[in-house]
Amino acid sequence: MADIKQMDSIVVVTLAGELDNLEANRIRSTISSSIFTRKVSGIVWDLSRLGFMDSAGIGLILGRMRDLAPFNGETLILNPSPTMEKIFNFSGLGSNIRHGTVNSVIGEIGGVLHEK
Amino acid sequence: MRNEMTLSFVAIEENEALARMAMTCFITPLDPTLEEISEFKTIVSEAVTNAIIHGYESDGQSMVTIHALIDDNKVTMTVEDKGGGIFDVQQAMEPMFTTKPLMERSGMGFTIMESFSDKLSVESSIGNGTVVRFEKTFSPVTEASRMR
Ligand SMILES: Nc1ncnc2c1ncn2[C@@H]1O[C@H](COP(=O)(O)OP(=O)(O)OP(=O)(O)O)[C@@H](O)[C@H]1O
Ligand SMILES: [Mg+2]
Repeated sequence: MADIKQMDSIVVVTLAGELDNLEANRIRSTISSSIFTRKVSGIVWDLSRLGFMDSAGIGLILGRMRDLAPFNGETLILNPSPTMEKIFNFSGLGSNIRHGTVNSVIGEIGGVLHEK
Repeated sequence: MRNEMTLSFVAIEENEALARMAMTCFITPLDPTLEEISEFKTIVSEAVTNAIIHGYESDGQSMVTIHALIDDNKVTMTVEDKGGGIFDVQQAMEPMFTTKPLMERSGMGFTIMESFSDKLSVESSIGNGTVVRFEKTFSPVTEASRMR
């Protein structure tokens, strides 16, 4: 299950349930089109309510990082479980992880943008 | 404790969740920690997904078979397909190596399976299929959990 919200120029994707191969294929195009409908400066993946994720989640997030690359969009991964955090670290996404609230990290993306 | 099981299902992606659920139930008597459960679940998911999408190209007819054995605190599990096989196992196990980049595979499956199990071995031959074998020992039961 994916809930997608636009907050200013930032897309917040809140995931719940189990993110596997089947689910990634189900939600990929919706998330992709939310990035392409307007100029997006960043995406926040809120995983607080996600119960399970495997390598399909890595593929999904890396794929959207490629979508965002032309706009220099930031990617932040919020509140992954310890197991997910390990998977992100293996995949070189450790530096994108944050713990906290959506509002606190949105400020961070705004801040990064402000400096540019 | 000693227990043994076999589970077979056709190669459709819906069965990844079935396999995760069944294997999680199977190891529950070992009283694993939450993190052990979720790591084991991830191993199952990676191996079964590979068998379905790489071994059988999700053909919806061929069978994936999981065999698992519990001996004390040690779980031995094989995930087997009789599909296309792996051209070069050593290369396939390298992080980021994938033959399906267009399907947004990240090539991290084997890296995850290796990290979350104690032992992993892969036997594969082109045209005959693939067997991935895992061993994982779960932490010994604590006094508190034994008294429950
Ligand atoms: N059961 C299998 N049958 C045939 N080929 C396989 C099998 N398992 C793995 N492979 C091959 O090994 C490669 C690497 O597998 P691995 O699971 O590491 O990455 P992936 O499946 O491509 O991507 P990811 O798991 O990150 O979604 C695959 O791209 C595929 O070519
Ligand atoms: Mg894989």
